[in-house]
Amino acid sequence: MGPARRRARIARGLEFFGMTAPALIAILLFVEIPFLMSVTFSFTKWNGLDKAVKFIGLANYRELLMSDPAAGHAMIFTLLFTVLTVVSTNVISLLFAVILDARIRGRNVLRAAFYIPNIISLIIIGYAWRFIFSRGFDSFSALTHMRIFQLSWLGDSRLAFFSVAMVSVWQSIGFYMVIYIAGLQTVPREQLEAAVIDGTGPVDRFFRITLPLIMPSVTVAVFYSLSNALKTFDVIFSLTFGGPGTATTSIALDIYKTAFSDSRFGYGTAKSVVLFLLIFAVTVFQLSAFKRREVES
Amino acid sequence: MKRSLFAAALIVLCAALLTGQGKTLNLFFYSPELTDQYNDMAREYKAETGVTLDITVNQADYVTLLRAKLNSGDIPDVFMSSAYADNTTYKDYVYDLTNADFIKMLEAGALNGVTVNGRITGYPFLVQSHSFIYNKKVFSAAGISALPRTIREYESAAQKLQAKGIQPFATGFKEWWVLPQTAWQVLAPIKDSFGGDYANFVDKLNSRDLKFKDIKEMSTVFDVLDLIKKYGGPKPMESDFNDQCSLLATGAAGIIHQGNWAEDSILKTAPDAKIGFLLGPVGSAAGKAGIMFDSNQTIRVAKDGPNVQAALAWLRWLTTSDYGKKWIPDKIKQLSPIKGAKASSAQLAQATVGLLAAKTPSYSWYYQRFPTGLEQGLGIILQGYCAGQTDRQQTLDALDAEYTKIVNASK
Repeated sequence: MGPARRRARIARGLEFFGMTAPALIAILLFVEIPFLMSVTFSFTKWNGLDKAVKFIGLANYRELLMSDPAAGHAMIFTLLFTVLTVVSTNVISLLFAVILDARIRGRNVLRAAFYIPNIISLIIIGYAWRFIFSRGFDSFSALTHMRIFQLSWLGDSRLAFFSVAMVSVWQSIGFYMVIYIAGLQTVPREQLEAAVIDGTGPVDRFFRITLPLIMPSVTVAVFYSLSNALKTFDVIFSLTFGGPGTATTSIALDIYKTAFSDSRFGYGTAKSVVLFLLIFAVTVFQLSAFKRREVES
Repeated sequence: MKRSLFAAALIVLCAALLTGQGKTLNLFFYSPELTDQYNDMAREYKAETGVTLDITVNQADYVTLLRAKLNSGDIPDVFMSSAYADNTTYKDYVYDLTNADFIKMLEAGALNGVTVNGRITGYPFLVQSHSFIYNKKVFSAAGISALPRTIREYESAAQKLQAKGIQPFATGFKEWWVLPQTAWQVLAPIKDSFGGDYANFVDKLNSRDLKFKDIKEMSTVFDVLDLIKKYGGPKPMESDFNDQCSLLATGAAGIIHQGNWAEDSILKTAPDAKIGFLLGPVGSAAGKAGIMFDSNQTIRVAKDGPNVQAALAWLRWLTTSDYGKKWIPDKIKQLSPIKGAKASSAQLAQATVGLLAAKTPSYSWYYQRFPTGLEQGLGIILQGYCAGQTDRQQTLDALDAEYTKIVNASK
């Protein structure tokens, strides 16, 4: 390669680098470097306040894998919670997206109405629902005497799981509905009209034409809801604080309690590294599985 | 021409910066129910000395935020914490107040919780008491004349209340901190088995020579929790602090377990409520039933801050000035640690003073000596017991496992 061409290549490389540098530097500073610092702290024993930090090697990871039943319960809760909320959220938002994609009256008003919970902070939603579940339901049960209002939705260990899942799904439907509506807009009308002429029913049309064509949206929505569900914290923190006892403690809440209540920052960061690896593995697997089903129209 | 103008502007700017700047102290407090009183005090201090007190108040996340601030270098000049175990937690950050002149003006009893090896690590802020609180009107309407002191007496009082359609207890079990203060009060006379010294009792727990499963009095603790839950209404696990205060204030509930800090919230709901303290049951020994009385909420001065002398000046003002001496009894309406402070007119403060004068057993908040982090950890385990997640044996094992874990983590 002649010197002039090499110089041109370097110049182009520098130009690309210059364009991406601001974003790269920001991500490096605020995400990558703190993450690497976290990983180094996961090999230490530190209470978050002492000026001295003690290096203990893999002891934190050993404790996590072998002698922490609370972390195990949190993992099981989080996995069950994730399955329930990811499936519910995506099915319900897709259903609403299909309904609100058809030309019905008040379509825009309904879309806005379903989207609003997504704008409100999860902490505020948690406190609002907390009030509804306890005082609101007390009033409803006094009015209607229905059994459903007399159950202790936040105080019973098993019901609390469903309460938290329901609030989480309610809040996120709007966001995923927007993703699915955008995906539905890309389905070419001619294919659907051809199918109508051929005599296929609406359900068949949906599952055989629409769904395969919106797989990119499904991939994105499932990826995002999966990774969010595995990291659930806000809604549980404000609704139940992981209670009663530890019935609704997710992995993220368990990490928070380990670091800030037990004062074990080294152990807490070890748990968060493990959570990162879990989310990474699950989402990589999910992305490759779904990408294979994507179809070009 | 431009250069000299620039130089002149710079000189004027420097002069403005160096002179006429009032000092500002950064204070980081909890107890948001006292926000009005904090602001009042800050206004008064500024009027008297020209120093601005910038007070940030937080409750739910206080400990987390404090750690974040201390770690990131954004150290507040003055902050708050519990006494006892927190003396060790913050030892790298607090200014030693042993030789401060105003410390002599505080009651010796109040200084117990902040003294470590003869050094005073904090300034006791409030002297507080907690026990069962009852609504006097509800009790007389239900025909309860003799105040209960044993578990059996509490049960019969609860039955009388229930017969009148009143929910006997508002449990507060949704809050993890209500359970420890309720449970550990039942265990309070345990010091008698350890030479009358809580430090001895906690040392044995810390060295793991003594475990909760070896303490037979824990069964009484569980009995009391069972009793409160049984008579705690249809949704005992959903009752939080607000629920407790509002139900007691309106007379929908007869008894709650809280402290004198709850009086303000109760009176805000029902200004004409009449409340008093009940002695906490410790089993069948009526003579040992008492209240928990101690100074736990502590003000600490950061030793590495740039305004240490200003912070000390503020504490001196709080202890010696007219306003300072009246602040806690009159504005905060609680008990003050300052020697010779007048008694507050608040009902629970008066009740405390009366009970102490009658030589009622008063126990220190010994459970604050448990290593830091255990109050929440043990509280959540007790909450699991009340929710029916673990039986008594499993709960005792879980309490021991948590205690061992925290003790090992702090070595």
